[in-house]
Amino acid sequence: MSIAHTGGCQCGAVRFQVRGELKDASICHCRMCQKAFGAYYAPLVSTRGAELQWTRGERKLFQSSNYVKRGFCGDCGTPLTYEAPDGIAVAAGAFDDPSQLPPVIQYGTEAKIGFVDTLHLLPGHRTEEDAEQAPFVLQWPPESGK
Amino acid sequence: MTITAGHSGGCQCGAVRYRTASPLGYPHLCHCRMCQKASGNYALPLGSARRGDFELTRGVPTWFHSSDLVRRGFCGTCGTPLFYDVPGTDSINVTLGSLDEPALVQPVAQSNRTGKMPWFHALDVLPMEPDEDGSDRAISIRLSNHQHPDYDTQTWPEEKSHE
Repeated sequence: MSIAHTGGCQCGAVRFQVRGELKDASICHCRMCQKAFGAYYAPLVSTRGAELQWTRGERKLFQSSNYVKRGFCGDCGTPLTYEAPDGIAVAAGAFDDPSQLPPVIQYGTEAKIGFVDTLHLLPGHRTEEDAEQAPFVLQWPPESGK
Repeated sequence: MTITAGHSGGCQCGAVRYRTASPLGYPHLCHCRMCQKASGNYALPLGSARRGDFELTRGVPTWFHSSDLVRRGFCGTCGTPLFYDVPGTDSINVTLGSLDEPALVQPVAQSNRTGKMPWFHALDVLPMEPDEDGSDRAISIRLSNHQHPDYDTQTWPEEKSHE
């Protein structure tokens, strides 16, 4: 009766399953995680104490330092893992339901970008309104259709 | 017009580099499920560059058509998510974390908030782990960092001197 968390990349070429309890989710602000994820931080869920299984395809690996390999999908690019000698952490957004895995701690805060703490306060816009306000908005059309 | 109107950026390993000659338009955070999964993240920060002001300065991205409308560019060598592109439009979106100086471009809005993580507002109060600059792990990473620096380089990877 173990809990299974499933996930994978955007295109589905790589899929995984983690059995067991995942309680060590974090965000890392270090510059290496920022650049690897193209974002302000990397959200990572440690699989230590649980069982990670690759259920479809193989991730591609990039050795970002002698200590760490970073896994991603070679077909669609989704960042998938942070792999160190002491264990593998999986990109939180790659899980099928990341809302179940809220982070509990922050790392690399010496590199934290000043405005990151207030991103959640930014106004929300419907994309049509955005397009009117800025002539070259353009994350348009929105892909999600939402 | 500010002095530094444009921006440079690229992937983690430096195989793909780009530059924009003008400021990025509409920097924002997208919470849609497609951006989440494409970036393995809670949300994806994007800003748009006019196509005429945008150039690839090294390498080419790998493209994945996430729908008929949209293609997403990433580095095929290291995986960094780089672009959100709607071919045929006059601009291309770059991921704001791939900029060499991401702190210079502050998002102005959030989009597709129906996909927002229910606890996204609470990330700022998470406890912080003390930095571990002196640890074996941190030293090993620092001495063998394979990440491209946050500026354009003439040649990459750098030629290493033999020991």
